[in-house]
Amino acid sequence: MEWLYEFPNMDIDSLRALKKGIDSGFRGFTREYGVYIENAFEPLKQFLIYSEKFMLETPWPLIILLIAGIAWFASRNRRIVIGTIVTLLLIGYFDMWEDTMRTISMIFVCTVLSIVIGIPIGIAMSRSDRLQSVVNPILDVMQTMPSFVYLIPVVMLLGIGKVPGLIAVVIYAIPPIIRLTNLGIRLVDKDVLEAADAFGSSSWQRLKNVQMPLALPTMMAGINQTIMMALAMVVVASMIGVRGLGQPVLQAINNQYFSLGLFNGLAIVGIAIIFDRTSQAYGKRLQKYQEVVHG
Amino acid sequence: MKKLIASSLLATGMMFIANAASAEDCGDVTIAQMNWQSADVLANVDKIILSEGYGCQAELVLGDTMPTFTSMNEKGAPDVAPELWINAVREPLEAAVAEGRLHIAAESLSDGGVEGWWIPQYVADANPEIKTIDDALMHPELFPAPEDDSKGAVYNCPSGWNCQILTANLFKAYGAEEKGFNLIDTGSAAGLDGSIAKAFSREAGWLGYYWAPTAILGKYKMFKLDAGVKHDKAEWDSCTAVLDCADPKRNAWSKSEVYTIVTDRFKKAGGPAYDYLSNRAWDNATVNSLLSWMTDNQGTGEDGARYFLENHADIWTKWVTPEVAEKVKASL
Repeated sequence: MEWLYEFPNMDIDSLRALKKGIDSGFRGFTREYGVYIENAFEPLKQFLIYSEKFMLETPWPLIILLIAGIAWFASRNRRIVIGTIVTLLLIGYFDMWEDTMRTISMIFVCTVLSIVIGIPIGIAMSRSDRLQSVVNPILDVMQTMPSFVYLIPVVMLLGIGKVPGLIAVVIYAIPPIIRLTNLGIRLVDKDVLEAADAFGSSSWQRLKNVQMPLALPTMMAGINQTIMMALAMVVVASMIGVRGLGQPVLQAINNQYFSLGLFNGLAIVGIAIIFDRTSQAYGKRLQKYQEVVHG
Repeated sequence: MKKLIASSLLATGMMFIANAASAEDCGDVTIAQMNWQSADVLANVDKIILSEGYGCQAELVLGDTMPTFTSMNEKGAPDVAPELWINAVREPLEAAVAEGRLHIAAESLSDGGVEGWWIPQYVADANPEIKTIDDALMHPELFPAPEDDSKGAVYNCPSGWNCQILTANLFKAYGAEEKGFNLIDTGSAAGLDGSIAKAFSREAGWLGYYWAPTAILGKYKMFKLDAGVKHDKAEWDSCTAVLDCADPKRNAWSKSEVYTIVTDRFKKAGGPAYDYLSNRAWDNATVNSLLSWMTDNQGTGEDGARYFLENHADIWTKWVTPEVAEKVKASL
């Protein structure tokens, strides 16, 4: 009856051979193609470096004005703008300005990249059930696979620094925008689509003028979630050498510097709240505008 | 008064445990399993020998140097840290030993740990003039920075490790920034190892902090750069090891002492198991080859420990009595 209690597992030697085979296969792959893959990511790396340089080298009052301006444009809400300015001033006063700028720049690039990749995938998914059934499990893997599992191969391929960090963050943060774009378009009222068809709109016109505007509030919720999840990955990204607020947090965790960890953690929370309130307020404004249109 | 009663009860209990232990088993023992390979495998060797040979209820507890040491010092748990690099915790450790809270059982790495700045052997072979840190810093073009090709790079130790402060101060002391180098923060041990693996897969240049005994140094041939100066302990304690020291000077790593630390409770309760811990030591050559075997075979610390116990009986049987050795052998 022993077989009932001992699971009949693969014998240790073949298992070891299998793992070794996968390993050496990957190593061969990095040796062969690592350089090309690295070159392919070169433009992205330049974009990251440029964006960080911009945030660091622009005088701080201009950056505050810029962020407050964006907050005002998006939310038209005086309280959010004042909150933004106060948070940034406090962060600067507690000597976390540079790290915060690095983190904001990273989050900005990650969000842009997630939107650029995620929205087309979401649209494609909404139009084909078959594609949806393929992409959904992939998104599940991306959201649940512990990030270090894919970070190690990425580091071996691309080294440490911004690009592997970006890949890790985007893998983790892109699913909500894909899912919610898909959902938003699928939830558009069938009657409205029929009306659009009756007016003889082409498939592209229908997407651009009817489905997208109606799905926009849902998509904004997706973008909002993407930003939040990107911020949550800041500390993990710092484990492969991405500079920013994650690094002092990591240092604090390893050395039990309670206050250092608390300050930098709160700075992450601070910018998260700024981004969250601003993007949510923008999403709400979009909805309001629609309510007026549709009565 | 309550406290007094409680503590005297506790003390009686302790003595009772101690008596019971010397009879047959050594009771529960928690062993700190650090998150680097050499400590991992040693913790597993200890676990097997203590549980099979001495009848302890041995359990591994994951942890890093600072959290583990703090917990041992403040809370008396875990009981054993098999491989503690004491440079990081020298002052609090000395205080704890003086007060009898912790005890040094043995020097677990008889060669000690070797730390320093390393470059790949193929770079050293191609540029025989590079022998010291100063030589290497003359050539930023050999060690390109990942995000700025015009600069060289010194890969720093992971965030929060003690060596991060040391490397940053030495980076300043050797004037590396003026010589066109960036100090690259690697974030984690995985990041640091990954950067080395990447460099070796392309035969590219790499310059940075590393330490032995490690699988990385068993697997990738590296050349340790000479510091150009002798270890200066006074300077080390007053500046090199201090965060944001204003004016660091050149300095060399001394051999790191690596000890097995046990809590007072275990020293008293462990009986013969404690004698084993105070006897056990291995040299870097043994550890490097073991770690390299583990890496080649994707072995865990436990696999490595079993491999070691099966194949190096000549080493470990000297740590224990013949009867215990028989028990351990029978269990393998």
